[in-house]
Amino acid sequence: MQRSIERWAIPTCSIAVLILLLVGLKGDRARSLSSPYRNMEIRNAAPASEEDACSSTMFPSSWTAEASTLGDTPGGDIVPVRSVADPYPSLHSVVVDPENNRVLMSDSNRGGLLFYDRLGANGPSGVAEPVTQVRGPSTGMMFVAGVALDPANHEIFAVNNDIGDRMEVFPYDAEGNVKPKRILFVPHGSWGVGLNRVRNEIAITVEHVNSVVVYRRDATLGEAPMRVLHGPKTGLDDPHGIIFDEKHSEISVANHGNWAPLTREESLEGELKGGRFDLPSITTYAGEANKDSAPVRRIQGKRTELNWPMGMSLDAVHDEIAVASYGNDSILIFRHTDQGDAAPVRVIHGSRTGIAGPMGVSIDAKNDEIWVTNYREHTAVVFARTAEGNVAPKRILRNAPPGTPAVGFGNPGAVAYDSKRDQILVPN
Amino acid sequence: MHGIAYDAVHDEIIVPVHLAGAVLIFRGAAKGEEGPIRMIQGPQTQILRPETVTVDVPHGEIIVGEDGGKDILVFRRDAQGDVAPLRVIRGPKTGLDEVRGVAVDPARNLIVVSSYSRKGTTGVFVFDRTDEGDVLPKAVISGPKTGIRRIRQVEVDSDRGKIFVAVKNNSESYRFDEVSPSPWNSAELGFIGVWDIADNGDVPPRAVIKGPASGMVWPAGVALNPRDREIYTIDSVRNGMSIFSVPEFFHAIPR
Repeated sequence: MQRSIERWAIPTCSIAVLILLLVGLKGDRARSLSSPYRNMEIRNAAPASEEDACSSTMFPSSWTAEASTLGDTPGGDIVPVRSVADPYPSLHSVVVDPENNRVLMSDSNRGGLLFYDRLGANGPSGVAEPVTQVRGPSTGMMFVAGVALDPANHEIFAVNNDIGDRMEVFPYDAEGNVKPKRILFVPHGSWGVGLNRVRNEIAITVEHVNSVVVYRRDATLGEAPMRVLHGPKTGLDDPHGIIFDEKHSEISVANHGNWAPLTREESLEGELKGGRFDLPSITTYAGEANKDSAPVRRIQGKRTELNWPMGMSLDAVHDEIAVASYGNDSILIFRHTDQGDAAPVRVIHGSRTGIAGPMGVSIDAKNDEIWVTNYREHTAVVFARTAEGNVAPKRILRNAPPGTPAVGFGNPGAVAYDSKRDQILVPN
Repeated sequence: MHGIAYDAVHDEIIVPVHLAGAVLIFRGAAKGEEGPIRMIQGPQTQILRPETVTVDVPHGEIIVGEDGGKDILVFRRDAQGDVAPLRVIRGPKTGLDEVRGVAVDPARNLIVVSSYSRKGTTGVFVFDRTDEGDVLPKAVISGPKTGIRRIRQVEVDSDRGKIFVAVKNNSESYRFDEVSPSPWNSAELGFIGVWDIADNGDVPPRAVIKGPASGMVWPAGVALNPRDREIYTIDSVRNGMSIFSVPEFFHAIPR
């Protein structure tokens, strides 16, 4: 069992050959070991202990070599000759709290939350340090996606997507490897979360079952939702971002446009049904919508420029909504009342913007700014609220040294080898 | 997307789209926002939520596995649009539940399936390639000696008659009432296991990659590069990919 450890003494996590989805990796050990990233430590996710030193929350301290023993079976606890992983957080969703001058970002790569000062800047190393971060096994965070803030009650809501199946609630002052204040078990495939303090409710999108589930704000553990929005009339198609609008008492949802029957019975209901690709959409419902309710408005069509719409944000002051359109590296601004094949009132897009795979967006109406988190870069970019076109951001926050590529793995579930190109293929 | 396959002869990439009930086929060199060259989707296909896919080049077939559908659907390799499958393996006799991986051994005319079940059998199911309907598997590798508790992608080295399995195992164990809860059950390590294509029953793996030095938390995928004697694994929790050089795994492995 020990032979392989001696063969390659460099820990897995210190070798980071950064890639995108299509990977070309020759069997070149020397190149791997001389990678400039070989001694890179996890930044912005500072290890709280030796247990965390390798890869954040993922390796429990109780794992021992003995635990891996399987008699005389060939193989054993072999160290990989090469590894590809991103030691830096992937910035996923973002939400600004202008009252407390804080900006929260979720890290889906290492399972954590990062609180930045709203006016924070990159340090001498070119990296902005968070004010606080929450990360570690006790937090329960895994593939954390959507986040929401309650500035009045100083609470953070974080939803795990695809693995975890739970929402964690932390106090603002949480830091390190701490237990959440409370947890709520949510359906598998949950993604976005919206808070409505007027109704004292939270709404969560669920990709896999094309649903929005609404809970009491303080719901805990296995508490059932108060309402479930689901059915063919809803138009929910692989929902992601969500806004729970307090002013108009409405729920708006960003849909990717994927739909497939869940069961064979469903596929046989009415006319025979198969999967389909619809155009992406923004669907809006009454705040109290339930079951198979139709949207009161729907933004959908080629003029909308929607392409894999992810996070959303509401500007209640100017009655606008912002959408992070991942597929075309754009931030799209619509009027709150827009519907149909409506063109956005403003689009932030282009080579000068620094927008690359936007996952999160948050409008700060108080300070007239709009924040964007990039999934394909280790950056968050800040624009004037009314920015339009191919404009440079006002500020750029980096969570990795300039030039560090983002690997982009997000809960990968399979791998294949392209023998023609000597490349490894990984779907997210 | 939870699955992927590469067809080296036709230079094509095949991916199932779970949330859109589709199988997409791309050029091998595809990049960016490039459309598929073929798509299998629609009610006639019987596809619900495809989880995994493989390609049988010698026999000109694409084989799709479904978790919710609890089945295996076989299409012509060049199928396109809303077309019926050539064959379907589905029903209580098959033992299939949440199908997580599928591979083919064209030399021995076998389809190898990994299936997870909360109430039934979790393991590796082997069918004759031309099986159809509600049929018993030819063999099932399952039981405590196998070490399989949760299972994902499966791959076959047809030349050597080996089955490679990503055994995920590690399951959610977050107990909020504990002082220091953790989402991981450290008693259930995931691993890459190797079985012989003729194995059946509660058989221990003939070779493994397993343990903390391997870096695997939740191995979800496995792929083979026999030429360089390498195994590629993907970990869905660690968000990482690891390459293992294991020449011994590509020789005949004595029990």
